[in-house]
Amino acid sequence: MIEARGVSKLYGRGVYALQDLTLRIDKGEFVFLTGPSGAGKSTLLRLLLRQDVPSEGEMIVGGRNLAALTGRQVQSYRRSLGFVFQDFKLLQAKTVLENVAFVPRVLGLAVAQQQRRTFQVLKWVGLQHRMNAYPRELSGGEQQRIAIARALVNDPVIILADEPTGNLDPDLSLEIMNLLREVNARGTTVLIATHDRELIRRVGRRSLTLDHGRIVEVS
Amino acid sequence: MRALTYFVTEAAGSLWRGRRAASLAILTIGAGLFVLGFFLIVNTNLQRLAARWGETAEFAIYLRDDVSAEQVESLSRLVHDSGVAARVDQVSKDQALERFRQDFPDLGATAERLNRNPFPASLDVRLRPGASRAEEAAEALAGRLAGSPGVADVRYDRRWLARLNGVVRFVRTVGLIIVGMLALAAALTVANVVRLAAHARRDEIEIMQLVGAPLTYIRGPLVLEGVMQGGAGAVVAIAALGALSALLRARDGGAISQVLGMESLTFLPVELSGILLLGGMLLGCIGGLMVARGVR
Repeated sequence: MIEARGVSKLYGRGVYALQDLTLRIDKGEFVFLTGPSGAGKSTLLRLLLRQDVPSEGEMIVGGRNLAALTGRQVQSYRRSLGFVFQDFKLLQAKTVLENVAFVPRVLGLAVAQQQRRTFQVLKWVGLQHRMNAYPRELSGGEQQRIAIARALVNDPVIILADEPTGNLDPDLSLEIMNLLREVNARGTTVLIATHDRELIRRVGRRSLTLDHGRIVEVS
Repeated sequence: MRALTYFVTEAAGSLWRGRRAASLAILTIGAGLFVLGFFLIVNTNLQRLAARWGETAEFAIYLRDDVSAEQVESLSRLVHDSGVAARVDQVSKDQALERFRQDFPDLGATAERLNRNPFPASLDVRLRPGASRAEEAAEALAGRLAGSPGVADVRYDRRWLARLNGVVRFVRTVGLIIVGMLALAAALTVANVVRLAAHARRDEIEIMQLVGAPLTYIRGPLVLEGVMQGGAGAVVAIAALGALSALLRARDGGAISQVLGMESLTFLPVELSGILLLGGMLLGCIGGLMVARGVR
């Protein structure tokens, strides 16, 4: 499903964010990506989101070399992804319903389809009763659940999460992890970047530890 | 259709949220198009005036006092055969004097005091409508008549018409330069307002890019926002020109028409309004595209 072959990412003046990285994540896996700040976790996610391309090596997802994709193919590829960020990236001027429905709306889905999918995922994350609330009226945990709902609304095959529990307390973090485990149980591949080793231990899934752009530990 | 609905909703919402900055852009476009419209109106009327006066242009062939009837006949034939004349009227010395008395009643007594009639007989040639445009033929005729026996002088109203056409061209050129500069300023203002709107919507745009929204969905609302601003600016300009037209008609319309010899002046024809509206929308579209092209 996801494969990095000798991937390096060089940022000016010889600073490597990733160096000769090789990894493989199978379809339906739940994998943590961990390591200290600056280890290269976010860079790897940027490459997977095709916001950037490797300086060397190949990043293959679903059999496609991401660096070789055209603009339209990048759009099509991204429609198969869901993403969750530490700062939620919710649109403050829109309600919960509008935030989640935003994705199918800008993808040009029919209104009935937008509504059906939005209600489904809101129900699934248990926040259908807050659909008319604005993000600022929600707790951190609720906001992240909305972000997960938004990531799921397009029925992605891969969920990428960058420090999804970075702004949450331990109990809420576990709650979010349980939600992502449920997503994974439905067959979606989940890749989570986090530096929270305690959380990884409690969830107990495969983890790849990065340091200075290299994988230093697999557990 | 869904895409269009989305564009309109987003563009209108964005305009409303940034209404202060958008108002500035709309007024700038409005000012530019007002000047454009004003120059178009002036140009249209000057052209009409030039055409009208050109059509009524006439020759006056002043005859020597000793001209013979055969020479007059020969001159008349020459004018008729040239194909540019609609009518030739022979005016005798007495008729010329009478015409002077009618046109200048205050000076009539002065003419009475003269021992002899100083006014020459003439052939007044009315040019055919449109024939005045056959400049070379008319000029050639004037040249031939001037050298003909029995002719004292030929007056042909061509030079001042050429001067009027020169003024029309000058007004048009100056107008185009000013309008071009204003159009550029308007497009840049729209671009800046749309850029501000894009900045305000940067989170939305980022999410749209991340979820793989088609570029048309990302850029469409930005372009449409520019088009809407341009259209609104054009409406402002048309309204201002309409108000100016109404004011001029009410105050000086009759006087202007009388002085210029035109029954009715053209103030704001539908075609001009259409040009302004389309021009405004095009300017806005250019401004929107300048920003949208940068969003990938």
